[in-house]
Amino acid sequence: MYKIAKHLAWLSIWRRKTRSLMVIMMIALSLGGLLGLQGLYDGMISHLINTTIRSDSGEISVYAKEYRLQKSLDYRLSSISNYEEVFSKIEGLETYSIRLEQEGLIATAHKSFGAILKGIYLENEQNFGQLSTFITQGDYSFGKENTAALIGSELAKKLTLSIGSRVIFTAQDASGEINSISFRITGILKTGNPSIDDSSVFVSMKQMSKFLNLQQSATQIALRVKESKQIRIIQKELQTLFPEADILRWDELYPLLIQMQDLIHIFNLASYAIVFIVAALGIFGVMLVSVLERMREFSIMLAIGTPYKMVRDQILLEASFLGCIGYMSGAFFGWLLLWYMSTSGIDMRSFEAGLELYGYSVVMYANIHLYYFVQAFFAVFFATLLSVIWPLLKLKKIKPIQMIQGKTV
Amino acid sequence: MKLSHICKTFYPDSPKEIKALKDINLIFEKGEFTTLSGESGSGKTTLLNIIGGLDAATSGKIFFEGEEISAYSEEKMAKLRLNHIGFIFQAYNLIQVLTVRENIGFIMRLLKLDEVAINARILELVSILQIEDILDKLPGEISGGQQQRVAVARAVASRPKLILADEPTANLDSKNSERLMQMLRTLNEKEHVTVIFASHDRYVLEQSKRVIVLSDGAVIEDH
Repeated sequence: MYKIAKHLAWLSIWRRKTRSLMVIMMIALSLGGLLGLQGLYDGMISHLINTTIRSDSGEISVYAKEYRLQKSLDYRLSSISNYEEVFSKIEGLETYSIRLEQEGLIATAHKSFGAILKGIYLENEQNFGQLSTFITQGDYSFGKENTAALIGSELAKKLTLSIGSRVIFTAQDASGEINSISFRITGILKTGNPSIDDSSVFVSMKQMSKFLNLQQSATQIALRVKESKQIRIIQKELQTLFPEADILRWDELYPLLIQMQDLIHIFNLASYAIVFIVAALGIFGVMLVSVLERMREFSIMLAIGTPYKMVRDQILLEASFLGCIGYMSGAFFGWLLLWYMSTSGIDMRSFEAGLELYGYSVVMYANIHLYYFVQAFFAVFFATLLSVIWPLLKLKKIKPIQMIQGKTV
Repeated sequence: MKLSHICKTFYPDSPKEIKALKDINLIFEKGEFTTLSGESGSGKTTLLNIIGGLDAATSGKIFFEGEEISAYSEEKMAKLRLNHIGFIFQAYNLIQVLTVRENIGFIMRLLKLDEVAINARILELVSILQIEDILDKLPGEISGGQQQRVAVARAVASRPKLILADEPTANLDSKNSERLMQMLRTLNEKEHVTVIFASHDRYVLEQSKRVIVLSDGAVIEDH
């Protein structure tokens, strides 16, 4: 009997081809567009998180207690080799980067701004987050004598610096004395992370240690973890091993990113609600009209002995076919859109200023995840089920003999 | 089939109250070829619908093969109709998306008969009804006379014990009416199907073995 219902349902949806195609297109376009948007928004936020992790926090960062509040060298990590020894024994750790930073004043002959000088190991940073990929001008190098610097793009713009320009950085050293250091710019970085682009200057760790008059010290050790499920485990382990330090995850260091991610999820849910309503209303409209105009036919079927269950199954299957074809077309369209946006990206150069203000890349790449398609399937599935309730209730109320004799519902 | 004290009142206890059937008592024997006749509004279609379980009597009892069916649930009644009663309606009422072949086989497939047997029965019926050449056409592609023959084929295909036909010739010309009646008569004789018509067509009345005349909801003649 199910086979007959399926056959009838399939034939019936093509009775009014244009109407069925319209509703299929409506579902397909709204679903495809939604999948595209979801992937793009996810891609934007993932890019932001990825950039932040690569350029600064890693998955976990180690600070001396109070350092993040006071930003003073008095609260620094010392005896770095002890940390390094422990890190080498933790299997889940991929790599780490030791940084020593101090706030101060950067100046040219004409301008000066507050900035952060960061001592790093170039090779370590390359392994850690491929820092060289953020270079937009110049080289990823501290020069032949290891005395040059890399500078954030926005800071360079404010100081009107170019490759080869010289700057002077003034700050307090570890003993509280005011020191100055001069260096030439060899590279300009654009990470998308405003805390780096707007105010950071990178120099070699050797030069920084000498400038601050410190050895075996760091203000931050950023760690990369092999698998995200290990982040909390490693954090806990390190906190036990180094109770004198703050061991913080990237999401604790950048809570705004998590808020943005949550906002995107809420936005995606709202979008799903819209697609759900569009699909439900589309199928509902088609099914209601389709059932009402065939009341007589259903009455005949019931009169000659067709069980109500079979007629109900037929209507459910008709709606399901519409929903399924709409879903498959929408999923395919959405996948195409996502595939294009994940490989070629979307160039949003015309919104460059606004995007960069929030750290977004001007070329946006979409993410593709299987769960987008699973969520979309359930949205369309439930919309389909909901949409046939009213037509089925209408059908349940009919008295076949009245319809056969030409009375209306 | 036995009808005992059947009454049917539409809009009871209201100013529009209509007593459509009044104390009908009838027995239909197996293999009968009977017509319920009467003027328009005499109650013949109402009676036919009550016999077929499409409408419920206000009072009275109906027995089919000795079993009272008047208190059957809708589901049970639908099963009875599917298994034992074939319907032929005035307006053919075929399923528009199914081909002639599928329409004829529809009830047999609902009854889950063997597919080989279904196809054999379809070929047998289309040969009797002379509609072999339209087997794969849709109802919308064939004439009214052909549609009515398909409706007859659908009604008799599963070999029901009873066929109820409501004004089957009303939309047919005299030639097609004659052909239809001959076919039903042949099926009645060959397959011993009980056939009950509701009709005031003179030709149908002439062909019937028994005619029951109704007037104002009551039987006034039975011969």
